Amino acid sequence: MVAESDVITLQMECTLFFENNPYAIETSSGLSKRLGRSQQVTEQALNRLAEMSILEKNGQGMRAIYRYKAPYIQTEVDLNAYD
Amino acid sequence: MQKKKAVHTGIPGLDDILYGGVPPGAVVILEGEPGTGKTTFGMQFLVEGAIKHDEPGIYITFEELPEQIYDDMTSFGWDLRDLERQNKLRVICMEPDILLEQMLQPHGLFEQIVREIGCKRVVIDSISLFRMVGDEEHVRTNVYSIRNIMRKHSLTSFFIREYSEFEGMSMPFENYICDGIVRLSLKPLMDKYRKRTIEVLKMRGTRILEGEHTYKFIHNGVYIVPSLSMAEDKMLIREAEVLSTGIDSLDDLLAGGIPRGSVFMIDTNSKANYRYLLSSIYSQRIKDDDCTVTMMSGNTSLDTFADTIELFGVSLREAARKGKAFFIEHYRRAVESDLEKAIVRVDKVTNEEYAQVLNERLNPIFECEDLCDKRWFVYYDLNTIISERGKDFLLRYFAEEMSMWRSLGITIVVHCNFAEIGTETASFLERTCNGVIRTWVDGNYQYLQVTKSPSGRVSAPHIIANVAEKPFVQLI
Repeated sequence: MVAESDVITLQMECTLFFENNPYAIETSSGLSKRLGRSQQVTEQALNRLAEMSILEKNGQGMRAIYRYKAPYIQTEVDLNAYD
Repeated sequence: MQKKKAVHTGIPGLDDILYGGVPPGAVVILEGEPGTGKTTFGMQFLVEGAIKHDEPGIYITFEELPEQIYDDMTSFGWDLRDLERQNKLRVICMEPDILLEQMLQPHGLFEQIVREIGCKRVVIDSISLFRMVGDEEHVRTNVYSIRNIMRKHSLTSFFIREYSEFEGMSMPFENYICDGIVRLSLKPLMDKYRKRTIEVLKMRGTRILEGEHTYKFIHNGVYIVPSLSMAEDKMLIREAEVLSTGIDSLDDLLAGGIPRGSVFMIDTNSKANYRYLLSSIYSQRIKDDDCTVTMMSGNTSLDTFADTIELFGVSLREAARKGKAFFIEHYRRAVESDLEKAIVRVDKVTNEEYAQVLNERLNPIFECEDLCDKRWFVYYDLNTIISERGKDFLLRYFAEEMSMWRSLGITIVVHCNFAEIGTETASFLERTCNGVIRTWVDGNYQYLQVTKSPSGRVSAPHIIANVAEKPFVQLI
């Protein structure tokens, strides 16, 4: 049984990982090795992030791969355009 | 068929070594020990494409995290995250088997990303890890498939490979299926130091500047100094005119030929045959309607010399009769009577009188109204000067005379045997000349190497091969 607090911690770590490496393409087993966490918890965290549309999930089971759906952020606004 | 434009690597010196760059669509192995800078090489190649050539690239890393690479590369002033924002770069991390799976899958992630950014360049770091995901046969098939996928998408790519793992083993199969191999090494330098060297071992579709070349990391990435690069003599090479030697392959080594007004030394050892080399240079001058002055050597009479020149399709006797060829003769040898006026006899002239006699005879010719707008070419046999007048005379006379003739815009080729005259005299002569062409016999072959040239380029040793047609020699 995986503790809910562990899954939440992993969700944070996974989000941070994809934020810093926005073009990473990972399986749960690959990411668990990079983060140094158990695969079971990592997989649960990744699936939750996929449900929340933070990650995109392709495939099923052990071969499922996850990639970041970077949120759209506009960093510069041309105010003259609204004159 | 027109050759496709080479892909610029962005690594100073590497394009020179590859005579322009990597052939487009080539798959090249970049191998080296840890710490040789494989990642930097690969990333510099992608940054060049992204910034200067509108050729977006993908860096695929299996072990290193992209965030580490982003940080490391800022030290060279490369903002990789910004290039990603502009869709000019992707730094992707994944496992080798996932990459393979996605590459083989129609419309897989790899294909999607290639289309998304219009990718033209790829670096995979490193293909050594494919060895971890299957037996030898599978690995071979996988790497072969990846190479084909790169070709299918016309992606010019570098496959990074750890080098030390193969030392002492049989030839890795990738060497056969890839288009090029570039090796980075760390070599000892002056006992206490290490130098970094790069060598292109193979590159299909382009010539390569062979040998090991030194490279360094500087503020904006890797900088290669192609070997045999010396400082240029800008004053000489800015002169547009270079005189062909008549041997195409030698002209290539000399960046076109001998610059007009320069002094070139041909250094031969006793076994080397320099006759055709010299005759080709000489006959080319006559062909171009230049005027010539020749110092005859003890073992070659005017007749023998003229006969050799005739093999090249020009008549030295004719030039002499027209008053456009002159000969300095140290030996009392008979010549055809109508050629006597072309001979400057110095056999009875003492060392003290030599320079004066020569100048009194030659200066009016150089300055003669009919010939003063001509180009002059002088061939000087220093072995004759040494044997007839001694080494001390040579040292006293040579620099002064050469400098005077050079000031008149005369091109001079000097022949000498450095090994016979001793290191000190040889180094003095070498210093006085603008270029040195060395030819020697070693074992079963005769070699030629340009060891000094005004363009700063020094060549690798080439084998001299005989050919049936003039110029009778070519460099291989």
